[in-house]
Amino acid sequence: MPAETGTASPIVYTIRGCDACMKLLRKWDAEQVIYEERRVELSQTVLDEARRLGQLVPIVVWPDGRVEQGFGDTIGCFI
Amino acid sequence: MVHATTIVTPARFVQGLSYSDFLAQATINHDKFNESYQSVPLTEGDLAFFRKAAALPQGPKKILALAEAWCGDVYRELPTVARIAEATSADLRIFLRDQNPDIMDEFLSNNGKSRAIPVFAFYTADLQQITHFTERSASAHAGLTSAMDEVRAQLKLPETATFGTLVDPERTAFLREVIARIQPHSTQWRKDAIAEIRESLATAVGIPNAS
Repeated sequence: MPAETGTASPIVYTIRGCDACMKLLRKWDAEQVIYEERRVELSQTVLDEARRLGQLVPIVVWPDGRVEQGFGDTIGCFI
Repeated sequence: MVHATTIVTPARFVQGLSYSDFLAQATINHDKFNESYQSVPLTEGDLAFFRKAAALPQGPKKILALAEAWCGDVYRELPTVARIAEATSADLRIFLRDQNPDIMDEFLSNNGKSRAIPVFAFYTADLQQITHFTERSASAHAGLTSAMDEVRAQLKLPETATFGTLVDPERTAFLREVIARIQPHSTQWRKDAIAEIRESLATAVGIPNAS
């Protein structure tokens, strides 16, 4: 089932120590993508929210509700 | 065999966090750490071995851990080492990986490319490094590889397919199936980690790997 974002920008759940997360953020920053970052390592509430969406960060929730886990050829970090 | 240490001086070592201080500073996963602590698969035989090793003049008296509270391998394995430290009266000091890159650099894995955690380094009383363990057991690594092979076959994916080369919905299905296969082995892999640490310590300090 698609997730609800209610925004026009993607939401990305990250851990700043996760290489895949940082690669995605660097790519988006270079492309000037506007996004909302939610850092799961800073809040149990945000972590629980991310776990309802997937098991691997980065987790991206696109404005149309699609959810993607991981990034590129790096598997990402299990949460 | 005892190895000379470099970055980890006595003054630096004592700056590490105790287990309780590590938990106190962690903002997440308290339930996971507590669950793992309560279910540590250490046997009486394991504890007798670690006590015997610690009693040696050049035995492990200090343990350094590199960790982050968000990491699944950390909340599964760090409580085991906390229990070992309690049972042997070893001084366990925990360093946050992302705040201590110089210490992390001493324990890189994957030919120097990975900053995998947890790392548990065992030291003598005068901080000579004895041995260290990184991330998870060899059986867990092998099990993950095997699970991925099985899932490729089940989903009729090319043998060369990896998580990174797949696109949704195959990517999500691949991940779901791999996780379903590895989760039942979690307790056994924690036991295997203990066995690996025992074997490594027994070899390093020159005692039989027996209770």
